[in-house]
Amino acid sequence: MAPSALVVGDIYFEDAKWQALSPAVTLKEYRKGTRAEFISLLKSGIFDDVEAIFRSNESTTVTGPFSEEIISILPPTVKWLCHSGAGYDNIDVEACTQRGIQVSNTPNCNEGAVADLTIYLMIGALRRITAPNNALRAGKWRGHIVPGHDPKDKILGILGMGGIGKEVAKRAKAFGMKIIYNNRHPLPASIATSLSAHFVSFEELISTSDVISLHLALTPSTERILGAAEFEKMKTGVTIVNTARGDLIDEEAMIRALEKGKVWSLGLDVFDNEPRVDERFLGSERVVVCPHIGAATVETMAAMERLVIENIKSALFNGKLLTQVHEQISQS
Amino acid sequence: MAKARVLLLGEIEHAHKEWASVSEIADTIEPKARSREEFIEECKSGAFDNVVAAYRTFQSVAITGLFDEELVSVLPKSLKFIAHNGAGYDQIDVHACTAHDIRVSNVPTAVDDATADTNMFLILGALRGFNTSMMALRNGHWKGSPPPPLGHDPQGKVLGILGMGGIGRNLKKKAEAFGMTVQYYNRSQLSDELSGGAKYVSFEELLKTSDVLSLNLPLNKQTRHIISTKEFDQMKKGIVIVNTARGAVMDEAALVVALEKGQVWSCGLDVFEEEPKVHSGLIANPHVMILPHMGTWTVETQTKMEVWCIDNVRSAIEKGKLMSPVGEQKDM
Repeated sequence: MAPSALVVGDIYFEDAKWQALSPAVTLKEYRKGTRAEFISLLKSGIFDDVEAIFRSNESTTVTGPFSEEIISILPPTVKWLCHSGAGYDNIDVEACTQRGIQVSNTPNCNEGAVADLTIYLMIGALRRITAPNNALRAGKWRGHIVPGHDPKDKILGILGMGGIGKEVAKRAKAFGMKIIYNNRHPLPASIATSLSAHFVSFEELISTSDVISLHLALTPSTERILGAAEFEKMKTGVTIVNTARGDLIDEEAMIRALEKGKVWSLGLDVFDNEPRVDERFLGSERVVVCPHIGAATVETMAAMERLVIENIKSALFNGKLLTQVHEQISQS
Repeated sequence: MAKARVLLLGEIEHAHKEWASVSEIADTIEPKARSREEFIEECKSGAFDNVVAAYRTFQSVAITGLFDEELVSVLPKSLKFIAHNGAGYDQIDVHACTAHDIRVSNVPTAVDDATADTNMFLILGALRGFNTSMMALRNGHWKGSPPPPLGHDPQGKVLGILGMGGIGRNLKKKAEAFGMTVQYYNRSQLSDELSGGAKYVSFEELLKTSDVLSLNLPLNKQTRHIISTKEFDQMKKGIVIVNTARGAVMDEAALVVALEKGQVWSCGLDVFEEEPKVHSGLIANPHVMILPHMGTWTVETQTKMEVWCIDNVRSAIEKGKLMSPVGEQKDM
């Protein structure tokens, strides 16, 4: 009998590939609705015999996060949770592991897109584009324009040198920036050389960088990794860029540092309480903001969806995921 | 022997030390005039007699108007050198200057990095459609309702550079770091070494095969409206156009029509035909990325530009020739 797979939330670009899984796979869907309705459908048994689930960061707006509450009532047949998104903090991985559910994400697809946004935010912040951009749209030409700074010869400190961090380094190098980084482990020498990136301690990174860009996964140990004490140690006039997760930074401490002039400008795509954004960011001419759109391109979303479908095929027919989340790999 | 006289048209904002050292070898004088009429009168009154060299800024056109035949013909006969602070010098009629035995210099090279950075920022902003998201967020809407269309990755796209001077070549290196393939059209083909291996194509092929078109050519009689309706019709549907050169190389009204038709998907503009006026069709379009002519507006680059221009003044006084005469006068 064909295994069953359930899609939660929508598929935007590669629906044809999902549909093509049938009839080898029986397809079920919950594309629109509410968390309450989804929970009651799960309890009703209508999704019993589902083995693999396709979900995404976008689907969180339909069902809410895949917390313990939902994980605990998934049918016992569910073995594979295949997630579209590099970040997956809206999945309780520990709860999945407890239930024998293996989880995959799409770690590499968004690297270029997020790196592109990082550079955009960095230039936007260094060049203080918010005021002139707003003024021009209000029919005022330049408004209150302040000369910005060139990225050339500035020190860029990359916190977290994974796939995205490396893509950022590659681009920043083309702008003539000096690159230092901190990571769980130093890069292999050949890669570090090709990126002209130098491994430094966390302390040295925060105290010597002209621009700090965060590319860390959010975990209990990285939450609020930049807090009041860290802002204290930074260079006066530092620019901070965050396209990773809002909770990596103590926002209140960052706003205080911005107001005191310790932080010169900010480029932010993520916030600690999305979709709510602190008014002091929105009203500041020294901040460039985007609404968590790091991977929001046709090409990248399509690539992520294709990888989820490949994970599902590999899981259902080869018994293993292609891009299992690293917490589960290190445990097995 | 009396010190030489130098006329300052516009402000020195950063290189005060360097300008002060000019007064060791010259008496500097500024006009009292606050309009073109007054400036012409002041010239005719003999107030600037014995001035040998002038330092002028882009913004000083607000007082003097364009340096056309009418203005150049009333300048003191002693004035032999005009050091223009800017890469683009379309405000100056070089033929008129040559006819009056006046040599003109501009500021090449120092502008390259900042302009290319702005150019890359606009490419990203237009391709990714960031403006809609930024504006929605500033107006209190997270992703907007309906959310803006997804953007596109620069990765794998063909960037066509029209005008492969210093800025175009600088842009090529940065664009390639984002995975773009670069082709160019230039008055003459460059050596592989200079072009960095970019593909040289005809003007028509540039229009027909580029996914992103970047305008990096000077404004003169031959290039005014070089991009207009006929050219838009030859381009790929959905092309993205970026202009950091001069507004008038592109027919702004025709661009607005092309955007409305969807022939041009988005654009990134730092310059406009009639600055500070901007076509209302652009201001009203949230999908385009527009900035108020701030391509070189950084502390570092503005300082470098002023120093370069001051060095041209110094060279004129001390050596009787300019450091960086404009191309048209190289053999003068």
